[in-house]
Amino acid sequence: MDSLAYLLAALTPYHIALAIGGVVAGTVVGSLPGLTATMAVAVLIPITFSMEPASALILMGAIYTGAIYGGAYAAILLNTPGTPSAIATTFDGYPMAKRGDGDLAITLACIASVCGGLVGALFLLFLAPPLANVALAFGPVEYFWLAILGLTLISALSQGNLLKGLIGACFGLLLSCIGVAEISADVRLTFGSHTLLGGIEVVSALIGLYCIPVLIDLVATPDRHLEVEDVSRGFRLREALGISWRSKFNLARSSVLGTLVGILPGAGGSIAGLVAYSEARRASKQQRHFGHGAPEGVQATESANNATVGGGFIPTLVLGIPGTPPDAVILGALLIQGVRTGPNLFTEHGSIVYVFIWGLLIATVLMLPTGLFIGRYAYRFIVTVPKALLVPTVAFMTLIGTYAIRNSVSDVVIMIVLGVVGWILGRLGFSASPIVLGLILGSIAEQGFVQGWIIGAAADNLWGEFFGRPIAMAIFAFILLSLFSPLLLSRFRVKREIAGAD
Amino acid sequence: MPTEAQCRDTGGIIVAAIFIFIGVLALWDTFDYTDADSFVFPRTVAGAMIVFCIALIAWSLVRPIDAATRGAESTPRRVGLVAAMLVAALLMPYAGFLLSGLLAFAAIVWLAMYDPWTRRRLIVYPLVGSAIVLGFYFLFTRVLLVPLPIGRLFIG
Repeated sequence: MDSLAYLLAALTPYHIALAIGGVVAGTVVGSLPGLTATMAVAVLIPITFSMEPASALILMGAIYTGAIYGGAYAAILLNTPGTPSAIATTFDGYPMAKRGDGDLAITLACIASVCGGLVGALFLLFLAPPLANVALAFGPVEYFWLAILGLTLISALSQGNLLKGLIGACFGLLLSCIGVAEISADVRLTFGSHTLLGGIEVVSALIGLYCIPVLIDLVATPDRHLEVEDVSRGFRLREALGISWRSKFNLARSSVLGTLVGILPGAGGSIAGLVAYSEARRASKQQRHFGHGAPEGVQATESANNATVGGGFIPTLVLGIPGTPPDAVILGALLIQGVRTGPNLFTEHGSIVYVFIWGLLIATVLMLPTGLFIGRYAYRFIVTVPKALLVPTVAFMTLIGTYAIRNSVSDVVIMIVLGVVGWILGRLGFSASPIVLGLILGSIAEQGFVQGWIIGAAADNLWGEFFGRPIAMAIFAFILLSLFSPLLLSRFRVKREIAGAD
Repeated sequence: MPTEAQCRDTGGIIVAAIFIFIGVLALWDTFDYTDADSFVFPRTVAGAMIVFCIALIAWSLVRPIDAATRGAESTPRRVGLVAAMLVAALLMPYAGFLLSGLLAFAAIVWLAMYDPWTRRRLIVYPLVGSAIVLGFYFLFTRVLLVPLPIGRLFIG
């Protein structure tokens, strides 16, 4: 099957309908302040369980990309990022809306999101297959170190203290051990509980850790009475296209930056948006306009955060290590489908991967008309949905979605309990993402560690098995870099500040 | 010394202590496993977690953190939300998914409601809530063919 055949397989009416439906659903959820892209994917995932893996992936990718774009509406019109990815969109989007250019800002955001999404998806299309070939050379020890690299990166990049991130990652790894061991059938860490015998189901844990804390916070504060800035002059598409063409280098740079940030495990759209925004500002000749309604600011953020979608799928599909939190949820859903991501996916299940990548490209293109339409006509209705209906709807979706995974009430209870634990830990500076990644990467890490241990012990060269192989050593060097770079960077910053003060 | 805007990360220290306890429990549990394949990984991870926790406690004792400021937030509503969801989950095998879902939805509407109950809201919210619950119930049972529990009360 060649590229054209994969493209045609992605262009079926069914897949186009899924792409449109996913983009619309994602945009709607993403545009609601307080609901994140991860949450959008998590609550809508149970719908994909009865689908073919490629179709499920297209729907999830479309929801994800739509949700990231949807965050821009609230950022521009309410000065509140709909999703964390749109934090930097508020810097210039809201000032544009205040001066009467909200419609233009939304159209610019839509075009930038489409550009970024396309760049990310094209990187995925052309970069993932050769990387998968490289990854075929990896043995169990390399996979173990890769899993640890993912965990250290997410610990270093997620909010809060590095040590707290590492503790969370270890906690996630321990959670992944609960239940009956695959090889020896030992019952592990259940402490006599029958509820834990089946282990922690990954997607229900993700729904709990990502959705329940948001619901707990939403219900605790009154509905904000939102003042939507008036948007009345239409799409202003021609004007927006002109501005986009003039800042094509900004769009290209931000999209590439977003893709690269997306590839790093744990660094999602919010980091990509902020990095691209600061780069756009640094490179601009009109730096003083930034923060006061500069269209380039909106374009940089929106192209970068949507580029993380394709970028994040690269490590997810090639290595089985999620690039962004929504990728973690999608990876969990694929495991339920019986699809194990990794380099073999490209050779053994090419029809799934390539149909999905083309589907993602199609969904990204379809985001232009759907995004513009929702921004013009439906946004005011979406954003004024009362919290008293929004919270129970999402809560109900978490209940039904979790139950549907294994038809298990125990999973629902575990989901709620983990959500409460995640909320408490979040209040104390322990981010949910390292726990989630630990839970997902637990099986890869354990398999690699145990196999490496057995081989090393048999050869009486345990040290050499883990530290003596070139690829393993290179990955280990990256682990050290990810662990110590925040420390070195903060030292460097302090020194520079002292030097500046002098 | 912590300044006024800074404080000791007491919460972090307490959580680290709890994680040390969990790590010790996990280590203790691994001694019952029969095969090295089963214990080598959890034992290593639990050991690493204990080391990180001790490091965090030591770090927190010498380095204060910025004090967090929180607005007016309702703890009873938070507890109510979690309780409503837990009760709905535990009620499912007896009352069925539909009834427990409707009850949970109604309870959470009430918990998330900060505005006064007008006549219009009293009519619209239950109607919208019922439509959402029934719509999802129909989608999962009829379209996605998920066997949601009917409830022992209704089976007899």
